[in-house]
Amino acid sequence: MLTTAPHLYIRRPSPTTAEFTVTTCPPLNLPLRLLFLLIHLARLLLAAAAVLTLYARFLFDPAAIPNQPNSPRPNTPSGQPDTLNGAGVDEALTHLRAGQIPLFLTTLLTSAHLSPAGLTLAHFTAPLPDWALALAGMTVLYATLVRFRSLHTTESVLVLRGLGIQICRMIGGGGGRETRFIPTEKIRDVLINEAFRGFEVRYYLVVVVEGEEDVVVLFPGLLPRRKIVEAVWRGVRGCLEEGSTSTGQGSTGKGSQGKGSQGKGKGG
Amino acid sequence: MSQSLAPECNEIKERYDTCFLKWYSEKYLRGIGTTDNNECAVLFKEYSTCLKGALKARGIDKLLDEAREDNKENDATLMGKKKSGYITARWDLVTRLYELAIFAWNYGVVTRAAKGFVVLSLVFFLIFLPVERLATREGNLSDGLMRVFWPADLPRSDLQGVVVGWKNSALDVFVVAVLEEVEPRNVEFALKVGTLLRNAPHPVSRIYELCGQSTINVLGLANVPDTADVDPSWIRATVVPGCQIPAVTCSRASSVQLILFERPQPERMQYMSLHPIALALDDKHDSFRQEVPDGSEDDDEKDERRKKDHKKRLVEKLRQHSISKRIPSEKEKALAKIVNQINWAWELETLLQKNVSRIGTRPKRSLSVSERVVESATTARDMMLVWMWNLFTAYVWPIIKRIFVMGLMGHRIAAELLLRILEWRAQPKYAALKDISATAQQVEIRLQQFCYWPMQYVTLRRRKNDWESVTTSHPDYIRFYNSLWLVANDVIIGIALGSYIIDNASWVAEEISQLLSQYTVDALQTSISWLMGWPAGLKLNNELGAFLGDLFLWVIDYWSSCIVALRPVLPHIILFIGFSSFAGASMPIALFSDLLSILTVHIYSFYLASARIYHWQLNILISLFHLFRGKKHNVLRNRIDSCDYDLDQLLVGTILFTLLFFLLPTVVVFYLNFAIARMIIISLKAVFDTMLSCLNHFPLFALMLRVKDPGRLPGGVRFELRDTRDFDYSLNDPSPPPTSISVVHLKSVPLKFTAMFHQYFQMGQRIRKHYLSPRVLLCLLTGKFVPPLNRKNLYSLQYSMLPARRAGVMEMWDAVNSLPEPKKRKPPVQVPILTNGKKFPSNHSGGRSRGYG
Repeated sequence: MLTTAPHLYIRRPSPTTAEFTVTTCPPLNLPLRLLFLLIHLARLLLAAAAVLTLYARFLFDPAAIPNQPNSPRPNTPSGQPDTLNGAGVDEALTHLRAGQIPLFLTTLLTSAHLSPAGLTLAHFTAPLPDWALALAGMTVLYATLVRFRSLHTTESVLVLRGLGIQICRMIGGGGGRETRFIPTEKIRDVLINEAFRGFEVRYYLVVVVEGEEDVVVLFPGLLPRRKIVEAVWRGVRGCLEEGSTSTGQGSTGKGSQGKGSQGKGKGG
Repeated sequence: MSQSLAPECNEIKERYDTCFLKWYSEKYLRGIGTTDNNECAVLFKEYSTCLKGALKARGIDKLLDEAREDNKENDATLMGKKKSGYITARWDLVTRLYELAIFAWNYGVVTRAAKGFVVLSLVFFLIFLPVERLATREGNLSDGLMRVFWPADLPRSDLQGVVVGWKNSALDVFVVAVLEEVEPRNVEFALKVGTLLRNAPHPVSRIYELCGQSTINVLGLANVPDTADVDPSWIRATVVPGCQIPAVTCSRASSVQLILFERPQPERMQYMSLHPIALALDDKHDSFRQEVPDGSEDDDEKDERRKKDHKKRLVEKLRQHSISKRIPSEKEKALAKIVNQINWAWELETLLQKNVSRIGTRPKRSLSVSERVVESATTARDMMLVWMWNLFTAYVWPIIKRIFVMGLMGHRIAAELLLRILEWRAQPKYAALKDISATAQQVEIRLQQFCYWPMQYVTLRRRKNDWESVTTSHPDYIRFYNSLWLVANDVIIGIALGSYIIDNASWVAEEISQLLSQYTVDALQTSISWLMGWPAGLKLNNELGAFLGDLFLWVIDYWSSCIVALRPVLPHIILFIGFSSFAGASMPIALFSDLLSILTVHIYSFYLASARIYHWQLNILISLFHLFRGKKHNVLRNRIDSCDYDLDQLLVGTILFTLLFFLLPTVVVFYLNFAIARMIIISLKAVFDTMLSCLNHFPLFALMLRVKDPGRLPGGVRFELRDTRDFDYSLNDPSPPPTSISVVHLKSVPLKFTAMFHQYFQMGQRIRKHYLSPRVLLCLLTGKFVPPLNRKNLYSLQYSMLPARRAGVMEMWDAVNSLPEPKKRKPPVQVPILTNGKKFPSNHSGGRSRGYG
């Protein structure tokens, strides 16, 4: 439900410029957007919890806060179990305004740890030995912040006549992207190739670049189905080469669903 | 008069011709003397007899007769009163024509003309027609797309202006500036004359050379009303102050590709480049690796190369699939040029805007008296300063410079000597001193750097005499300051470290001797005596264990006595290391690394010995096992053949096999012990080497630059397609533009962090490939010697910042002396502000020249 099979979007403001985007992100509507927002929130919450447990176990120093007037606060009946310690946050904010970032972080984490939620967390993780906790915390942090940063994979190819082809891969949910530009002068050919991958044959687009020891694969992460690959190939050829604008086919906007039957069970 | 056909008649013909002409011009044409028309008849008769004779001799008279026969009627009708005169004139003409025809025939003019005609028509059909057809087709094709490069940070205003820039091809334009409130005609004239580039700080030809165009052109008009008529090849831009994107149209183009870019600031040394900036000197270490003769190349490297070749062949095969080779068009080839033009855009626009006020007529105005008084008062102080400065540069500066250069050269010569010693090899294959010792290598790197700096400095100084937009020396700049900074850092850390070591020399020496005796003597002794008993319940062969253990213990005893002898000297060594660290923290690290390898020589030799014993034993066991099975190893064919052994052979072999097999565990434990010790030492040395390479070649300056100003470290370009809708609605005319516009943003991508540390990754990969491969594991298991990684390969990183060949002493002398003299400061001259009398109160100047902050 959260992802679909890779499908194609084409943006073509003029016949000489086109952007082909292959993404696994389904067309967004309101419930889906809300769901994604929730998932992201849960992810961040998980990461924060991991940081908090790691801090409480290894860096938290109970002796450092006896003089704080709000230390008995956790023992008070918890009216709002999920909010942080109010006074601690205030103090942290004053530190932030003074520009003392480490102090701000420490204060914030301490107050978070002393809040009911933090104490519950510490209570639950107490039976784990140190090394297991460290390992688990690091794994959760890595998984939430690095590995599953975004749910979808999006890759795009921008073709500009007279300039070249630009390959782009979105990194994470934000605006991070990794691009590579190949000038037309260097492009020797754009072709579709086939290869075994696991037990199937995949068709993929290749740019043969002059003076480079490797060919450049378009959409390397997704390797979309043959229909998409063909559509992109036609578009790229039509866009890149002068005098063949008519072959570009006016297939704008609609993505083609890659559900064809090109499995071709060659793999053994 | 022309010559007669027969040379013998020349004279007669001459006479007759004169006579005839005289008669013709003086009498016949004036209509007098009509009565006597035969005054030249005598002469003519003479001539005709002579010619007839000649013709008869050549056989042409018959032809003549025939021709005359043909034309008789014509002649007859025309013959009037002036019959005889006419006949003479006609006769003359006919003979001339005949003469000409015969001459032409004789010399083959006709055939030549025919040939020429055929060739020309062939050329026309085969070359000109297709070319013309192609040209028309090309013209039809390419007029579709117009490419406009437009600086996104160009100041926007709704005043009318003239768009000025480079015209890379008919439909490929690069906008440099919009000059406001000037006439396009005047601008064109000013560009042609060069007024707009006046007062340039450096030669103007450099601009044209690097931008690849010979002229700056007027490209179009900005913010003109639709009614104004514009040259069809010009663009018509509408710039709205609130709107990011200008609307650009051109009557000749059906679609427009508008490429917006942010101009890099040359004075901040920003620039744009298609390829990532090279922090290391490019391709150097490759050549460095190729220096090794093929025989001594490592296996893994051979393997790597074989793989590379295989891949290359595959890709080459793939390349052969493309049937047609596209010929890149002008537009496509222009990209590199355009990147240069982008780099120049800022400086050029500043220059143009500065000179806008010169366009058009300008009234001359001299200073008033009061202004002159103020001016002379302000310049008096400056004059004084300039005079003192000139004195200094004339007398003091040369001496200082001389002394400095002399010191530099002395240093250079000393460095050359030392480098020669460090690089000296007895034979080309033998290791030089720098390959063996880390200290020697460190000294060599420092000396090489000292040799390279003056050269780098000279290149950087030359940069000052050129435009700021010339970007070729920017990587040099980064490299130079990176290495300077690293050395400074190194020295600072070294001073701290050195003073600590010197202050606590005795304690450090004590600690080190403690460590030495604890780990290299005591720990070894205890581990060996542990192995001599039954370690971990393993039942070893007592006798062999005792023998091997006693052997090693004996050597260790000897070694420990050596260390005891060393102990009183150790504080001095430590003191020496401490003092050496004032030359940088890398020196004590290198010294410690060398000290470690010297003081653990006994472990190295133990490892070698036990590995050899183990390896032999294993080999014997394997061959005896073959014997045990009735097989043997055929050396010639490198395979296992079956072999019939005699009974006694079999018996002895089997007994030996059993013996050796039972003795094997004892040897294995000793071998493992020393192998582990050796591995620990190797990893310790690897730690030292990593520290060294960090101190020597960490891209510190580049990292700081990346954080401070990513524009200075270009890693390529990126295009971003903008939605055309963004700017459509902001234009107030509701009708959609007739041309389709795609708006693309061109941005510079900063260098990736991985690219900065590329060298480190490469080194790490090489180390991993060398030490953590299954091959090494196999070597360890079979007791083969694990060769240490070739120092040269490992430290290609260290040399990546240095040129492969260092500049010689004389080269450096020339370079240092070629530095330009410091400029003499001229007394400040107040240039009156030029005005062209236009009505802009905001500025002093008439045209709008813009100030840049």
